[in-house]
Amino acid sequence: MPPTEPESVQTPTPVTSVDLRKEMAEVGIAEVLDELDRELVGLLPVKTRIREIAALLLIERIRKQMNLNTESLTLHMSFTGNPGTGKTTVALRMANILHRLGFVRRGHVVNVTRDDLVGQYIGHTAPKTKEILKKAMGGVLFIDEAYYLYRPENERDYGQEAIEMLLQVMETQREDLVVILAGYGDRMEKFFQSNPGFRSRVAHHIDFPDYTDDELLSIAEIMLHDMSYKFTDRAREAFVRYLDLRKRQPLFANARSVRNALDRMRLRQANRLFHDLDRVLGVDDVMSLDESDVLASRIFAPSGDGVKKPAGNG
Amino acid sequence: MMTNHGNRITQGQFSFLPDLTDAQITAQIEYALKNNFAVSVEYTDDPHPRNTYWEMFGMPMFDLKDAAGIMMEINNCRKTFPHHYIRVTAFNSVRGVESPAMSYIVNRPKNEPGFMLQRTETRGRQIQYTTRAYVTDKPAGERH
Amino acid sequence: MNKLSGKERYKSGVIPYKQMGYWDADYVPKDTDVIALFRITPQPGVDHEEAAAAVAGESSTATWTVVWTDRLTACELYRAKAYRSELVPNTGPGTKTEAQYFAYIAYDMDLFEPGSIANLTASIIGNVFGFKAVKALRLEDMRIPVAYLKTFQGPATGVIVERERLDKFGRPLLGATTKPKLGLSGRNYGRVVYEALKGGLDFVKDDENINSQPFMHWRDRFLYCMEGVNKAQAETGEVKGHYLNVTAGTMEEMYERAEFAKELGSVIIMIDLVIGYTAIQTMAKWARKNDMILHLHRAGNSTYSRQKNHGMNFRVICKWMRMAGVDHIHAGTVVGKLEGDPLMIRGFYDTLLDTHTPQKLEQGLFFEQDWASLNKVMPVASGGIHAGQMHQLIHYLGEDVVLQFGGGTIGHPMGIQAGAIANRVALETMILARNEGRDYMREGPQILEDAAKWCSPLKAALATWKDITFNYDSTDTADFVPVATPAI
Repeated sequence: MPPTEPESVQTPTPVTSVDLRKEMAEVGIAEVLDELDRELVGLLPVKTRIREIAALLLIERIRKQMNLNTESLTLHMSFTGNPGTGKTTVALRMANILHRLGFVRRGHVVNVTRDDLVGQYIGHTAPKTKEILKKAMGGVLFIDEAYYLYRPENERDYGQEAIEMLLQVMETQREDLVVILAGYGDRMEKFFQSNPGFRSRVAHHIDFPDYTDDELLSIAEIMLHDMSYKFTDRAREAFVRYLDLRKRQPLFANARSVRNALDRMRLRQANRLFHDLDRVLGVDDVMSLDESDVLASRIFAPSGDGVKKPAGNG
Repeated sequence: MMTNHGNRITQGQFSFLPDLTDAQITAQIEYALKNNFAVSVEYTDDPHPRNTYWEMFGMPMFDLKDAAGIMMEINNCRKTFPHHYIRVTAFNSVRGVESPAMSYIVNRPKNEPGFMLQRTETRGRQIQYTTRAYVTDKPAGERH
Repeated sequence: MNKLSGKERYKSGVIPYKQMGYWDADYVPKDTDVIALFRITPQPGVDHEEAAAAVAGESSTATWTVVWTDRLTACELYRAKAYRSELVPNTGPGTKTEAQYFAYIAYDMDLFEPGSIANLTASIIGNVFGFKAVKALRLEDMRIPVAYLKTFQGPATGVIVERERLDKFGRPLLGATTKPKLGLSGRNYGRVVYEALKGGLDFVKDDENINSQPFMHWRDRFLYCMEGVNKAQAETGEVKGHYLNVTAGTMEEMYERAEFAKELGSVIIMIDLVIGYTAIQTMAKWARKNDMILHLHRAGNSTYSRQKNHGMNFRVICKWMRMAGVDHIHAGTVVGKLEGDPLMIRGFYDTLLDTHTPQKLEQGLFFEQDWASLNKVMPVASGGIHAGQMHQLIHYLGEDVVLQFGGGTIGHPMGIQAGAIANRVALETMILARNEGRDYMREGPQILEDAAKWCSPLKAALATWKDITFNYDSTDTADFVPVATPAI
């Protein structure tokens, strides 16, 4: 159980020495970090930052046990990067780390966007925001594309009301919830410039880089493996070419685009197999995506510029 | 002034104990959340024992994970109505209950003048009893 | 022995019950059958299956000899069928107890009048307990089909609505029985009521034998008690009640008393089990019609429920009373002065409170029972309990129960109000601790000591009754646990 006991029950006597390795093992933090390393492809700078934060939290926890002066830590964060770079996944891991170390009581993540917080008419926003805040208490509030809260072009925008409530809680109830603001790097930067209140309350900025081609291929292979599919060698080569073309299209969303592409390839494979009803299918047949399943993508269309709306059926 | 133990109305689960601290209230809310009760904050300035419907300070709170959100509403309510009675009620929705499962007072006026017992003599030795809160002589909102 | 048929079966004379068709090992009970489980001690030399068949026969259509008029009826249907008989664990050869058998008997629902406990019981326990073929007979449990349950009103008010009316949630209710049981004048009696309620109890109660005696006629009692109730309500701002016992010699007199209680604004009236099943059911209908909670004192039940080999188990009474429609019934304390093995008592409580009871042999619940949305009955724990046992009471009995501290309130050295305060503080502090997740069973005495530091009435109560326990072995224990749970 997380430290949910009422404070009145007992105050532990301060310790004077702590075995760091034992402490790590006790809170199980190493497993979470290892899991992060194992399960997430790439993201080296992100993983490094998470390790740094985890170290800070662990030491802070030890300092608390020693009854040393511990200003309540500001743990609110911003996760910046392009879509599909793992921000939501990392937020879940982060919540787990915060929970294990006792910085949030429950460790759940409430994932919202502007529409969940901001209302349509006067008096609508405060209850909506309050409702979300209450649901997130004890855990992590993850606000995706947080900059949409702020609409300077509309001076009667209700987003401002939500912003003020958020700032208030981020300041006064730091032990009750951690807020993670997420979105594109450049837009977040602008958002922070016009909302210095947020900038000063966000202690940790983590930038999520785009995946390299090799990383994207690994992600694709892992996803296929999890779904009991695989590339043939020729399909793999074709997919490398696919990635190269797709990345140059607008609205490329890293891992998410990979996932969508794979889903379409499964559809093509199924149709290809369905076409020949006289065939007896083996396990290998239904597991394998072949070159044609990849190459049928409109991205390889001879016009050279792929499709008009690449986010669609590429 | 009321002359009973504690000189206070004794509705709710914990009226015979010293006023609950916020930490104690938090623990009770956590018990409610653990049992999947929805928790509601209600207030009134009419302490009559059969005043069932206290005003709702917002709707009952469903699907919360942590007590802090409810504590926040309790404190908002205390700030708005510092001299009212405020109670926390927890609702159990399982079949066979579908009714409050907890109810306790978390705020009271400083002085609780209590009730007048009005006796009207009727047939024979019979008396018709009416309980009237002294404070309800004044209009709502001006009572404490 | 083979079942006989046709001419053979209906030839004048006496033939064994088994052959008459009251034993059918292949019978599979229908969902709509009433099933009764009897503990049978056959007379020496009587085969246990024949004894079971005899019980089935005598509790349904049979008589001692063959009658041709059977053949004018669909008698196959109406015959109760004993379909299973097995040796009770720890009885028979090699044990200290002579052989006993659990006999399962199924009755078609059409054997019983809808909505009548009197009719149901006239069959099931009517003649058969005096039957010579069995040396002793005990009705252990019954499975009542949903279809039949639906013909009963069930508790007039029920636990949920009672709590809503009283505005008391999340804790046991507190009561006390006015003492001395007999002899107080109406005026003195009402004093006890007022003091106990003002001190912090929710209810005070008449005793089972307080009706209308020369020292206090019922109208005086009602008038003074309601003065006490209303005054305490005004002093505390909390709903209060006194169970006014309306038990009387005739139904007309009971109605008169109940009507008077209603006129005076009482929330609850009381009856005794000895008034009989029909009177109980009648008062339950009256209570529902008049927004009244109906308390039942189980006066007299131990004459037939206590001995293990003969009579009937109290859980059957619990079932019948839930069907009959009472809101409260005394169902044991575990820790007090009256009979009660903890597991058995849990079985009674579950019978009264569950919406659906699974089979729990260790609690003596032989059948799964769907309660068909009948209201729940509030169990009452009364007799020799005190504030110092609060952790045990909550642990064993839960929060849906009325804890009656009679002597434990009125016998307090600082007075009745102080006694009530002690009980209420003990209760609230223990519920608080339980909800906080503390190991209140283990820490119970300390939790009480801590509260006693700021509550002198509790301190005095703990000092007075600290070491009072009633450690006797229960007579009515489960047959299906290797070691019976000791009474605490």
